[in-house]
Amino acid sequence: MKFRFAHESIEINAGLLIALTLVVISIGGLVEIVPLFYIDETIEEVEGVRPYTPLEQTGRDIYVREGCYTCHSQMIRPFRDELLRYGHYSLAAESQYDHPFQWGSKRTGPDLARVGEKYSNEWHVQHLEAPRSVVPGSIMPNYPWLSETALNTSDIEGKLRALKMVGVPYSDTDEEYQANVERFGEDAAKMLDIHTAEENLIAQAQAGNYDGDRSNLTEMDAIVAYLQLLGSLVDFSKYDEGYFAEFR
Amino acid sequence: MPTWLQWMTSMEYSKPIALLIFFFTFIGILVYVFTGKKRKERLESYKYIPFADDDVSDTEDEQGKSS
Amino acid sequence: MAHEAAAADSQYNYDIIKRFAVMALVWGILGMFAGTYIAAELAFPFLNFDTPQITFGRLRPVHTTLVIFGFGGSALFATSYYVVQRTCQTPLSSNMLAGFTFWGWQASVLLGVLGYVNGYTQGREYAEFVWPIDLLITVTWVAYFYVYVTTLMRRSQPHIYVANWFYMSFILATAILHIVNNLAVPVSMFSLQSYSAFAGVQDAMTQWWYGHNAVGFFLTAAFLGMMYYFVPKQAGRPVYSYRLSIVHFWALAFLYMWVGAHHLHWTALPDWTSSLAATFSILLLMPSWGGMINGIMTLSGAWDKLRTDPIMLFLITSLAFYGMSTFEGPMMSLKSVNALSHYTDWTIGHVHSGALGWVAMISFGSFYHMIPRLWDTRLWSKKLVYTHFWLATIGIVLYITAMWISGIGQGLMLRAFDDYGNLAYTFIESVSFMHVPLVTRMLGGIFFVAGILIMAFNVFMTVRTAKREQAEIEAKIAAKMAKAGA
Repeated sequence: MKFRFAHESIEINAGLLIALTLVVISIGGLVEIVPLFYIDETIEEVEGVRPYTPLEQTGRDIYVREGCYTCHSQMIRPFRDELLRYGHYSLAAESQYDHPFQWGSKRTGPDLARVGEKYSNEWHVQHLEAPRSVVPGSIMPNYPWLSETALNTSDIEGKLRALKMVGVPYSDTDEEYQANVERFGEDAAKMLDIHTAEENLIAQAQAGNYDGDRSNLTEMDAIVAYLQLLGSLVDFSKYDEGYFAEFR
Repeated sequence: MPTWLQWMTSMEYSKPIALLIFFFTFIGILVYVFTGKKRKERLESYKYIPFADDDVSDTEDEQGKSS
Repeated sequence: MAHEAAAADSQYNYDIIKRFAVMALVWGILGMFAGTYIAAELAFPFLNFDTPQITFGRLRPVHTTLVIFGFGGSALFATSYYVVQRTCQTPLSSNMLAGFTFWGWQASVLLGVLGYVNGYTQGREYAEFVWPIDLLITVTWVAYFYVYVTTLMRRSQPHIYVANWFYMSFILATAILHIVNNLAVPVSMFSLQSYSAFAGVQDAMTQWWYGHNAVGFFLTAAFLGMMYYFVPKQAGRPVYSYRLSIVHFWALAFLYMWVGAHHLHWTALPDWTSSLAATFSILLLMPSWGGMINGIMTLSGAWDKLRTDPIMLFLITSLAFYGMSTFEGPMMSLKSVNALSHYTDWTIGHVHSGALGWVAMISFGSFYHMIPRLWDTRLWSKKLVYTHFWLATIGIVLYITAMWISGIGQGLMLRAFDDYGNLAYTFIESVSFMHVPLVTRMLGGIFFVAGILIMAFNVFMTVRTAKREQAEIEAKIAAKMAKAGA
């Protein structure tokens, strides 16, 4: 008797209908998302992956701003054609400091997960300013304003602090700095120090000379620095072919 | 993480268990909904709710359309 | 049956519905035009004009936001306020809060797209709104939930009609998805920039849990609510099986939330997650088709209406497209098919067979039914409804076919090898191959935009006629009163 009236009470009671709907729609998400935060195998341990330097992070922000993810993926799949075209398939570890992730969902242009160090800085600058001058038939927009816009460096400290709050190990205290030295090596740890973020940003841009003009700090410097980093952190020759398969 | 959630992530356990739970819940709903003559009448009577507030002009309009 | 409590039209709050309906058309025209323009940019890249504000990367979120949240969202606000009042036979519980949801929602959409063109975005698909707008949306949504539930509670009969269940689940699910997916830390109180709380693989899973359920609850469950009211009303006969609609609801609400990870096949997401999602995607075919059959069979015994009633044509065609895309979807979620289809235009075509064929067509049909009733008049032209129908249908067919060709073609080219085991084609060769399909897709878009422009004209004339008629009647009454007074 009790059960017979069960569904009817849902139909006539808005509160119960809401509560049950909430339960029903929550199960799927809980089961699929929550374990990802706990299982060790979700993200494999790989040497070399480190947070972005101030300049690279600034470049990444420009990448997000221009909506590059609407046409380019950063996620290589484990297929032979993708291996030949782009390189080793992407690892979860390689995007562990990506807030937000930029895996993308569409390849109107090629995947960029391992575009770093494949082309020269000059190629990138020319390609971003006028894609069809280096790749005839390309349908990418020109991005001439990247070379013309001065790079805003003043807010980098705030950005790193926000990223630190969501879990990226930029260092604020001496202890954190020391921990970074142990984890990423001294050179990298210096770049991850929040207090010297703006100096580091400018220094890396000038030393790297990404846009071919040392006197001018432009958005082109930052985005090329970011593109050149993509996928270059992990040395795959160090690992056996089967190693990463364990984490899939 | 609670162990039962850990357990869920292993496909060999979660797949059949989930299948059973969902299957029987689904069968339960089906049985409930499609059995009982009284229940049928009650449930099917609800489909006239959208027409409960038809006023004269609305019906006229409906007829006007089909002509 | 509870006929006794039938409230007069005048008691309902139609004003808020009218405003949302008009804005749905405005955003629809702008959003579909933006979509056609970015389609043209892909076919003819000079159209980017070296101008940051109109490059593809910035305009694409403008297109998706305008059509999903501007057009779809406003259409859902309008029809849900209409359906909840008419099936509960009670006016909205709070006109003030309903008015707030109008301004909150329109401001969010407008500020959102103004932000995108100027480079302010979160970089998450379909959740590009920057954090202050996310907050505004949250407040608006809470007000919407409150108005909807309190109106439901004022209903004049015990049973809640099933259309309201679907609208309710859409409001609840959207709230959960929106809040969780937009958790972020702003750079400062005065900066529009923020960084999402999750990173990498967890962020991807959260985003596609959101992304696919935006499709599942925003663009499907809610529009099914629309279907369960407007199809029976327009057909003049009740829905085929009320009991099927109950099963449909619980199955759909349960299954949809699992399937998001099928967007992440073969990625760094653990395999068990995306396999589980694929399994549920296949299961989802059942309730989807159950609902489609329920809608179409409502017309059983009155099929001749399809010959005489263009509005019915819109509604039934939308269900046919719904059936088609809910078959294509599970198929594309199979890992082997997904290996080819993912990252290509096939996905874009699939989305549009759902978005244009199902979402837009059922909205058009419902609006053609609802708008004359809101203004207490008749449609200005039935012929133009036919014209709109054919323009829209041809547009969709062109669009989907073009995307099948370009998507499957590119997928096959990129995985082709020559006799020596080398890649047969470079990436740019596949881009060149796609030129003709991309132009065809743009033409499809032009057809569809032409259709909604005709609809807007028809609606404008309908409202103008209604107002003129109203004025004449009022003048007559005034004259009579004056006579009586003298």
